[in-house]
Amino acid sequence: MMAPVSAIMLSIDGSIAALFVIFGLGVMVSRQMLASLRFFMWQASALTASALALAYALQAVNLLWVALITFTTKVIAVPLVLRWAAGEEVYGRREVDQAMGIPASVLVAAMLALVGWFAVAPVLPTLHGVPFAAINLPTGLIMVLWGAFTVAVRRESVAQLMGLLIMENGAFFGSIAIVHNLTVIAEIAAAVDVPIVALVIGLLIRSIRRVTGSTRVGTLDKLHER
Amino acid sequence: MTPIWTHLVLNLGQVAFILVFSPLVEGVLHRIEENIQGKSGVSIWQTYRDIWKLFGKDEVVSEQSTWVFRFAPIVAFVMPIFVVLLIPAFTAYPLFFAFMGDMVAVGFLMAVSGFFVALAGMDTGNIYAAVGASRTHMVGFLAEPVFIMVFFSVSYVANSTIPYFVTATWGASWSNMLQPTHLMVILAFFLLILADEGRIPVDSPAGKVEIAMIGHSKGLEYSGSSAALMKWGGASKLMVLALIFVNVLVTPWGLAATTQWTAVLSAMGLVLLKLLAFVVILALVETTLAKLRLFRISEFLAVAFVICLFAVSIRLVGIT
Amino acid sequence: MNADWLPVLILLVPLSGALLALLNRRAAPYFSVLAAFITLLLGISAAWHVEAQGPIHASDGLFALDALGALYLLPVCFVYFTSSLYAIGYLWARKQEQASDEAEPRYRQYFPLMNVFALVILAVPLVANLALMWIAIELTTVFSAFLVAYEDRAEALEAAWKYVALTSMGAMIALLGVLMLYYGTHAAGQAPTWNGLLRAAPHMSAPLLLLAFVLWLIGFGAKTGLVPMHTWLPDAHSQAPASVCAVLSGVETSAALYMLLRIYPALAANPGIHDPAAWYMTAGLITVGSAAFMLLQVHDFKRMFAYSTIEHMGIILTACGIGAAVHEQGTVYQLFAHGFTKSFCFFAAGLAGIIFGTQEIAKVRGLISRSPAAGWALVLGTLAIAGAPPFALFLSEFEILYTGYSSGQYLPTGLLTAFIVIAFIALAYQATRIAFGAPDNIPEQHTAPTIKIPRSSLAAMAIAFIPMFVFGFYLPAPLLHLVHEAALMLEVPA
Repeated sequence: MMAPVSAIMLSIDGSIAALFVIFGLGVMVSRQMLASLRFFMWQASALTASALALAYALQAVNLLWVALITFTTKVIAVPLVLRWAAGEEVYGRREVDQAMGIPASVLVAAMLALVGWFAVAPVLPTLHGVPFAAINLPTGLIMVLWGAFTVAVRRESVAQLMGLLIMENGAFFGSIAIVHNLTVIAEIAAAVDVPIVALVIGLLIRSIRRVTGSTRVGTLDKLHER
Repeated sequence: MTPIWTHLVLNLGQVAFILVFSPLVEGVLHRIEENIQGKSGVSIWQTYRDIWKLFGKDEVVSEQSTWVFRFAPIVAFVMPIFVVLLIPAFTAYPLFFAFMGDMVAVGFLMAVSGFFVALAGMDTGNIYAAVGASRTHMVGFLAEPVFIMVFFSVSYVANSTIPYFVTATWGASWSNMLQPTHLMVILAFFLLILADEGRIPVDSPAGKVEIAMIGHSKGLEYSGSSAALMKWGGASKLMVLALIFVNVLVTPWGLAATTQWTAVLSAMGLVLLKLLAFVVILALVETTLAKLRLFRISEFLAVAFVICLFAVSIRLVGIT
Repeated sequence: MNADWLPVLILLVPLSGALLALLNRRAAPYFSVLAAFITLLLGISAAWHVEAQGPIHASDGLFALDALGALYLLPVCFVYFTSSLYAIGYLWARKQEQASDEAEPRYRQYFPLMNVFALVILAVPLVANLALMWIAIELTTVFSAFLVAYEDRAEALEAAWKYVALTSMGAMIALLGVLMLYYGTHAAGQAPTWNGLLRAAPHMSAPLLLLAFVLWLIGFGAKTGLVPMHTWLPDAHSQAPASVCAVLSGVETSAALYMLLRIYPALAANPGIHDPAAWYMTAGLITVGSAAFMLLQVHDFKRMFAYSTIEHMGIILTACGIGAAVHEQGTVYQLFAHGFTKSFCFFAAGLAGIIFGTQEIAKVRGLISRSPAAGWALVLGTLAIAGAPPFALFLSEFEILYTGYSSGQYLPTGLLTAFIVIAFIALAYQATRIAFGAPDNIPEQHTAPTIKIPRSSLAAMAIAFIPMFVFGFYLPAPLLHLVHEAALMLEVPA
């Protein structure tokens, strides 16, 4: 981290981060659940690519493991788990509706991006010797905010699950620039956690579908104070 | 020859380049699409034969139409010629007319031609052409902010609005090429080409159902040489946009650096190759997507707008 | 035995309980209780060791236990034990009492899941690494999802969905904060543990620490049930079976609160952060106030206890801020006592639910005349959770308020007093409505055979009553010492 990194690697990482954000936007505004899942897989691939780029630029072997584990769990394992747990709901080509129209969602996303940027701005000058943090950390926080927004605004369970997954992507994207010493156990556990969450949520979706006949969790509102 | 005369000849050569090769580009695009769909497809020279045939036919003009109807095909034909004078077609250095107008002028020229063509569509009273004209204006109105944002971000990065200087900026170094703003602008501009040229997912270029047409209904009422001019002008417009895309944005290399005729000829060949690659990608994108419903086009263009906005804001906050 | 092995053992026992429960379905409840009892003994001995000889550091650096962790570990082990005992009879009785056309509850998955759930909650005070702690907290959500959705009803599934979605959302937000702290401790040359964080805090950049704290407050706050991220809590804690609710309300929300409490000294040690106590007091007071007012209009007695959990989480958070300038004994003692008390309340609520077949306050009357044990338990539990003497929570709340008034922080302490009083009134009113009065609103299907209260559940409730009552006026000397030590860990280094 002491050697200066080349401008080319900065540009490459910047482009990967821009693609990461675009794919996150794709998850947010996709009308079909399958399209959401595909965009999530592309986003996880962008995360892998960023980890590889940083591993090369910073000569950090740990990030190679991060890249491998991320690709295995998020691009390969999560879709398989979802197909097993809640296959018809996810892989049936059905349209998702939302509480807020797509143009309005995109505008709110733009405002959240500003919020995230200004939240991170005071932190960046204090990070010394971490050249890629200025790119990855704001992107990560923005994606966490967008994921939270997706969970809040979508009424469909699979879409909310996608929101949770892109939040995790965002948290990891933000941290690969600054954390190089995550112990192997922690890395593996955090990575395995994602398919487990997908599994449990998939099974829950299947139960919800069986009991209530649909997966539109936004309309479940029997529990409230009268 | 003195440099001024060389530049003038080269500039006029650009015009010839466009006029000669645009039907070929359209023919190749059509042929590739049909091949992907499993058909054997028409010959790639078919557009030349169509234009030749149309020039030889008589024209039928409605009595209810006005001068706009007769004027529009000429505007549609001439506009790409003016535009190509301003953009780098096969040279890296600015030519004779290069400073006549910048990218904003390019946008203005396209808007003028679109205006006349749409008015002409309403001129004859044909209901399908009128519907298509109003839909074209809707798409154009939605695409306008995206155009402006693309021009703004590109000129913000390059500190100039002249296309030749923009090419030079992107091509200066790899870190310039790979910066996120560049990538986002490429993506947004590609989406714009799809919208402006009436390709899938916005409009169906091969469709013959008039009620579903958006931009392709502009040629419904024309016949004879007017139809030929409209067809040729449409093909030239596609080629001009493609030239801007490949030469200014995606691959700003391979253009002639000197006025030697060998350099110029090899640059022309490279540009044609780049256009071929673009056409292949365009065909792939078109055949894998489905046409959007009309009211979803606003979302499509909203996504393009946000991508562009994002590109500008990345540059503004100065990350890279 | 060598104390370094205790943390690993404490984690291995529930794991083996879960495996045994998977292997032999019939004996699963008994394996569970046995595992829980052994864990309780191990937990008590670990806490004793920490009190007598200082923090435990396992040699491989993965596990560690200090005073505050030990103080939190005790209620976790205890509630795990009593809840496992309670569940033996309760689940069977609940199945009898429900209408026969409802779907078969997930009985076979209950005990393995419960043991693994207890395992991951136990992991929170026992692991040393911040990232592993985060993983443990995320796993508590994952493994309790199907415990909340134990009965296959639409309401239970809705509650489970909201629970998983909102708490996972919080966990992801907190993940970014945890990783930022990871970087911060590494940059200051320390290990990513609580001690390392405390040592690194004065040298960390203030904006980084503050941003990480805000992410923790939102993320772990969603898991704790802080307002306005609390919307999942009343649903999840009212739809789950009572034995699960006892663990959820008593100790699982406290796990996230534990994380929020332990970052406080790091914030206070950093010179760039102004007045971290104000953050805690504001967040806490908003939570207590909202919960107190929501208690006034609650219609379901398990939801009532759930709102009371939200209130207590807020009280502890406020107390952390109030006691910052003086001492934190009230805070840690409230964290300790809340576990016992809340689990007792939910045990009583579960029995009342079996007897009446419904959880709505408007439909239940005269619980004391129908079943004196359950009735008195409910009344006493409600009084205890509201903070009445001679129960443990009275001591802790009194300590907190006394600390606040004696150090001159009249405004926050005054507000806290007002909210506690409102909550007390609301709780007492609801409890008397349920317990007393003529039993005339009996639902028809219960005129026939009255459900007998299972003896194991009664035994569990009686065991749970002991610490709640005894610790209200007598603390054994080692425990008192442990409370002092734990409070010292939260106080600002001078």
